[in-house]
Amino acid sequence: MPDPMNERRRPQSPNIQIYRPQLTSVLSIANRISGVVMSVAAVGLVLWLLAVAAGPETYAIAHNLLTSVLGRIVLLAVTFSFFLHLCGSIRHLVWDAGYGFELAAIYASGWAVVAASVVLTVAAWVAGLFMVG
Amino acid sequence: MIIRSSNQLSRFTLIKRFPVPRNFGLGSKSRIERGRTWPASNEAKRTKAFEIYRYDPDSGQSPRIDTFEVDLDECGPMVLDALIWIKNNVDSTLTFRRSCREGVCGSCAMNIDGTNWLACTRFIADTGSPTEIYPLANMPVIKDLVADLNHVLAQYEVIQPWLQSEAPRPEKERLQSIEERARLDGYYECILCFCCTSGCPSHWWNGDRFLGPAVLLQAWRWLADSRDEAVEERLDRLEDPFRLYRCHTILNCTRTCPKGLNPGKAIAEIKKRLVERRS
Repeated sequence: MPDPMNERRRPQSPNIQIYRPQLTSVLSIANRISGVVMSVAAVGLVLWLLAVAAGPETYAIAHNLLTSVLGRIVLLAVTFSFFLHLCGSIRHLVWDAGYGFELAAIYASGWAVVAASVVLTVAAWVAGLFMVG
Repeated sequence: MIIRSSNQLSRFTLIKRFPVPRNFGLGSKSRIERGRTWPASNEAKRTKAFEIYRYDPDSGQSPRIDTFEVDLDECGPMVLDALIWIKNNVDSTLTFRRSCREGVCGSCAMNIDGTNWLACTRFIADTGSPTEIYPLANMPVIKDLVADLNHVLAQYEVIQPWLQSEAPRPEKERLQSIEERARLDGYYECILCFCCTSGCPSHWWNGDRFLGPAVLLQAWRWLADSRDEAVEERLDRLEDPFRLYRCHTILNCTRTCPKGLNPGKAIAEIKKRLVERRS
């Protein structure tokens, strides 16, 4: 019989402190972080719309904030998060349908998500800067 | 790079560890201290350092990391050989489980260089410098590299891993067609080493209620068995936000399975079966 008192005194072996980051776990946590980033960005979008509605002065403040260097870095991060979350979620959709579980497919689709997110982010910014200037 | 089978090692490593402190989130009993170094003898020409997690329940001290310098010319090629060499020649108190030394018993599952694998099927030459050895991740430790598997084995019991049938007992064996038997391939080979469950982040955070990949792969092994008649009861037991659905398809399980099995796919099959049952 296991002694519950004795069991309670046992140390727990480390988990995340020692486990090697792999494409599998890194993309999983990246999908969560990008989701959080977009949730926060949604609040930012509402604030921006409120600024537009409040009149030209507040819009000018919002515009200056967003076109500052820091603002652009934040926008870039939000754009990348959007595409990463989009592509990652499509990958999950395919899995939920029961496909793509061979290890080679897991890695191929994982790197495809990373590459597609980078390409789409760059494309969106090139298109945006080209149209708006 | 593309990993094609679980025994393939990554050729390059961007980061060896997640950016969290060494003792992050560990209770006072579990904090790891620096231990002692056991140097190689002067005659040794080819040596390699092994950093090994130690815990002695009788000493009342915290777990520690000891460094052993192993004489590679005196020792076999596998990580398990190095552990046996240390136990025979350096410190006889080093404690670990082992039996078959050929990857069929699952006893020597441990965390080697940050991933779970069997010590008997990992070449020393394929490990880093130093080789870092911990017990299976996220388990209570009995002593040194011996993890307490009581909890995960109790979880295994939850899925009732035996054939259940109401049909009259046949005179001889219960027959299956070749196709029916083939549906068990990739699932019946599991040796219950719990490398996958111990490597699953969902099981780290919700292991009290989430059954984990090893047990869920076994659950699918019985669901897929044409001779079993308890499919509905088995599905009822699994349809639970924690037992099954804490799986977020991270797939560390499939990446780490020393037998090359696919717990991630097994879990997806269970989820699919539950959806089909509702419609």
